[in-house]
Amino acid sequence: MYRWDFAPVWANADLLAAGLAATLQVTGTALACGVPLGLLLALMRLSPRRWLRWPAGAVIEVFRTTPPLVQLFWFFFALPILIQVEMTPFVASALTFSVQSAAFFAEVFRGGIVSVERGQWEAARALGMTHRQALRRVVLPQAVKRMLPAFLERAIELMKTTTLVATVSYADLLFQANEVAQKTFRPLEVFTTAALIYFVVIFIASQAAQGLERRLAASGEGMHR
Amino acid sequence: MAYRWNFGPVLDNADVLLKGAFGTLRLFAVCALAGLLLGLVVGLMRQSAHRRWRWPATAFVEFFRNTPVLVQILWFYFALPILAPFEVSPMLAAALGISLNSAAFTAEIVRGGIVSIDRGQWEGARALGFTAAQAMRRVVLPQALRRMLPALTNRGIEIFKMSTLASAVAYVELLQQGKLIASLNFNPIETYTVIAVVFFLCLLPLVQATYALERRLGRADA
Repeated sequence: MYRWDFAPVWANADLLAAGLAATLQVTGTALACGVPLGLLLALMRLSPRRWLRWPAGAVIEVFRTTPPLVQLFWFFFALPILIQVEMTPFVASALTFSVQSAAFFAEVFRGGIVSVERGQWEAARALGMTHRQALRRVVLPQAVKRMLPAFLERAIELMKTTTLVATVSYADLLFQANEVAQKTFRPLEVFTTAALIYFVVIFIASQAAQGLERRLAASGEGMHR
Repeated sequence: MAYRWNFGPVLDNADVLLKGAFGTLRLFAVCALAGLLLGLVVGLMRQSAHRRWRWPATAFVEFFRNTPVLVQILWFYFALPILAPFEVSPMLAAALGISLNSAAFTAEIVRGGIVSIDRGQWEGARALGFTAAQAMRRVVLPQALRRMLPALTNRGIEIFKMSTLASAVAYVELLQQGKLIASLNFNPIETYTVIAVVFFLCLLPLVQATYALERRLGRADA
């Protein structure tokens, strides 16, 4: 019978904490860049001009249909040679997940914008607003509220996907767990602890998202009306 | 200085990639089948009237949905062998991680599909003398499955993409073979570009089919 011993894990708690901080950092960076980029892509995709619509559609489809790990390897190993820059694991990770999540966020934004009734557009235009004003003042505020659930789900999904950065030696929680496991010869305890840390953080985030979703549904402004 | 692309070395290693593609397909087939079937079972368990079925199913779904799949794969590869009396191969670790993760997501799709069916269908079936199990199997599930189809094909696409994570435990699949070629020929640009294109071309028809399915069902339901 195996004797569980979590003492070596406790002794390395600082490494795991640093790993969790790094995970949150890369998630935060990807969110901060991915959301505006996603909005931009969505607006381009909805544009009446083909030269804006087409490239946005291509970026969204490519990043949604290729595996994120392949994208990460491409950005980490291939891109630096192509444009002759130094690529740190952090930059490659942040870049990959910004663009990748932007592709998914773009679809969330698009769904939200499309769901706003035509009448809202027409009324705004009838009031003398330009297309851009109507979008910014009338349509987007309504769309943002409706797409919040899908948006939060994507953000949580993003945090789970950032574990991939461990494969390019960015010192996130999973990478640190692997290091500690090799150092202490206690993979069972270390990986179990890492899994539990992820579970607690992500579970709290999902519960918060669900709570918010319920409140929005109660205020009569969910995705479905 | 512009980079001179040279796909020669990648094409010379087409057999290596082919072996990887075979590994990817094998893992995908196992995980898709196991994940969808187990997901159906767990989804039905969550709808059960008995707490002893419902509770473990909920715990399973919450745990596997709220931890990253790569952590699960590494847990099965490095931690499980300590508890289990057998060897855990890279294939087994990856298959366990991806299948169980997909099962948890599929269970939620199944639950959503069943819940979306109008109560009247249940009541009608029960009024005709069906038992709960018969009503589920003959009346509710067939209708629910139709509605779940786009979400399920999406799951399949996710599983295909997830199969690349098996390279983290050195399972021989496309990306793993790509790593090998890139490190032997010092040509990461061409190799990873080819890998990305292969995945894109494999998945694009599936993605398009899902869109078409969504449109068709959207029209049918409206």
